[in-house]
Amino acid sequence: MNMLRVWPIVCEFGVGALLCLVGIWCGLRGGYLDLKIAEDRRLLAILVAGFLFVLAIVCVFTFLAPGWASGEPL
Amino acid sequence: MIAQAIGGNLDYAVMLGYFVVVLGFGLYFGRYTSSTKDFFFGGQRFSWWLIAFSCVATVVGSYSFIKYSAAGFSYGICSTQSYLNDWFWMPILVLVWIPIIYYRKIQSVPEYLEIRFDKKTRVAATLIILFYIVGYIGINLITLGRTLHTLLGWEVMTGAIVTAVAVALYVYIGGQTAVIMTDLLQGIILLVAGLGLFAAAIYHFGGFGNFWALLPTEHKYAFSDFSAPPKFSFIGIYVQDGLANTGALMLMHQGFIMRFLSLKSVKDSRRMVVCWILVLAPLAAIATSCGGWIARALVNNGELETNAADSFVKAADFLCAPGVFGFVLAALTAALMSTADSLINAVSAIFVNDIWRPYIKPKSSDKHYLRVARIASLVAAGLGLALVPVFMKDTIYGAHSMFTAAVTPPVLVAIFLGITWKRYTPTAAFVTIVGGAVLIGLSFVWPDALVGPFDFGMGPDSYKFMRALFGLLAAGALGISVTWFTKPRSEEELKGLVAGTQTDAMRQFKGGEPNRRSGSKVRLRTKLDPNLSGEDLVILPQSAMDEMAAEPGDLLYASHTRWWYGGLRSVHVKAGLPGDTEDSGSMRISPQDAATAHFTEGQEVVVEKIM
Repeated sequence: MNMLRVWPIVCEFGVGALLCLVGIWCGLRGGYLDLKIAEDRRLLAILVAGFLFVLAIVCVFTFLAPGWASGEPL
Repeated sequence: MIAQAIGGNLDYAVMLGYFVVVLGFGLYFGRYTSSTKDFFFGGQRFSWWLIAFSCVATVVGSYSFIKYSAAGFSYGICSTQSYLNDWFWMPILVLVWIPIIYYRKIQSVPEYLEIRFDKKTRVAATLIILFYIVGYIGINLITLGRTLHTLLGWEVMTGAIVTAVAVALYVYIGGQTAVIMTDLLQGIILLVAGLGLFAAAIYHFGGFGNFWALLPTEHKYAFSDFSAPPKFSFIGIYVQDGLANTGALMLMHQGFIMRFLSLKSVKDSRRMVVCWILVLAPLAAIATSCGGWIARALVNNGELETNAADSFVKAADFLCAPGVFGFVLAALTAALMSTADSLINAVSAIFVNDIWRPYIKPKSSDKHYLRVARIASLVAAGLGLALVPVFMKDTIYGAHSMFTAAVTPPVLVAIFLGITWKRYTPTAAFVTIVGGAVLIGLSFVWPDALVGPFDFGMGPDSYKFMRALFGLLAAGALGISVTWFTKPRSEEELKGLVAGTQTDAMRQFKGGEPNRRSGSKVRLRTKLDPNLSGEDLVILPQSAMDEMAAEPGDLLYASHTRWWYGGLRSVHVKAGLPGDTEDSGSMRISPQDAATAHFTEGQEVVVEKIM
């Protein structure tokens, strides 16, 4: 595996995860993000899902897509 | 840049027609502006989807098409990296920053800094933020000037002046409402044009597989190499754009703050940000970058000759029929106008709220401040124009990156620490902003000594990006170290201003305990009641209150039944004591509130509980 391609993902999503955790922790402190409320639980799920979605897109265009060529299945 | 004009008369007619339509659109919505609240915040009544589209139009500047297409032509799909950074800022934005500024009714970043810290911090931040926004206006104007030079053969300055005059005119008349409504139109147009161009290219190449095969392998990665090439390395783009620029857009960009404050509720900000960052921004990334990818594929297929700077315009000219090319050029114009209008309106807001109102003419009438705001809009456009010659010396990407990396870190760090860390002190905030700015200034004098240690071995070519990392670390280190030796403000003074106290801000906003029980929207008919004049109260039947899970004193929002008005015809009111059964199916509202919302007697409206 070419680590020059992996380090950017580690850096982007590592620092990104820290930023997300800071934001969520700041929301939970003081009860503004109240997990007893369905709407707030949904927001938390969307935050995690969005993170994973962006990670999945980046992984596809790092480990799979560069190998696609004309005539091969996409 | 190419020397002669391209495109035909039909293209220019389409572009001119578009220009006139947007101008007319903006001027029409000027009739909704009668106070500074309308001029700066559009009356705080808009729906999430309207603001999401307008945010995309604002974030996609005219430089975006040129800058990202040029990067796409040279480096491939990693040109979209800038748009992949936004999600990580979302929790801080929707759970901390927006609740604080919205519920504390804060109108600008400098105002927040004064309430959170002190007056001298506000003054320092005001100067830096004004410099940042005016510089941003200059970058946008020079991009369109250069594009019009390519297309029409005009002098760069002439194109910049024509555009600046048009934008300043509709901001002058319509303020934030005109900005939001024109940005909605422009956001749709730039997405349709960019994605349409991509679809046309896929059709031209006979499918995505054929297009993909024409790109070099190294152009097919989401990110470039970690520390190469120096002018477009992952780490350089990440620290300059992902941290400094995106953080600045989310937390210190007055244009975005005004957009967030235009929402009808904080709840809508969650939907708006998800739609903007997860749906519209990725589409915008493709729309703005695809010109470069297409041009690269056309060049590799032997169908086109171009360089990176002209790749977007050349690819569009190659693929589009006469008239359609004009529409794509209109999208370029849309991108410029939709960014510049927000910035001009933002400068005006900071000038009035942070300079004129507190220091030059306090306690004047709202009419006076509205007049000053309009004049400030014109001056902001003029100042942006004055910076055009300064930015002419660099590439668009270089000028934009250098500017944001140098200007944003100190204020961004001060806001970030201010909202997340109660212990962070006023003295530390001032030192962060002023000391950080001084250190960044010194990094231009001694770049090797100050930025060099952070360049990951890439050398001086990377300094314009890596200066952001130096600035963030230097400002952060100053802020944290000074905090430990100075006295923080008391917990009581910080209520509603830092993380952990957002619910206190909600209480202050409502003037009572927030009602967060979930309820439904109800449809009622208006009944004008002069007895309610001056109270901002509405009287609803008990059944409607029960359906909304609302109680007397709760904040409500009444709007037109047509959702596509996006809140243009709406009003915020408070629930009074429920009415008797005779009023079942109707909402008693004062004639003044009805006039604000453009409601008529007996009109059906939708009512929902805000909190």
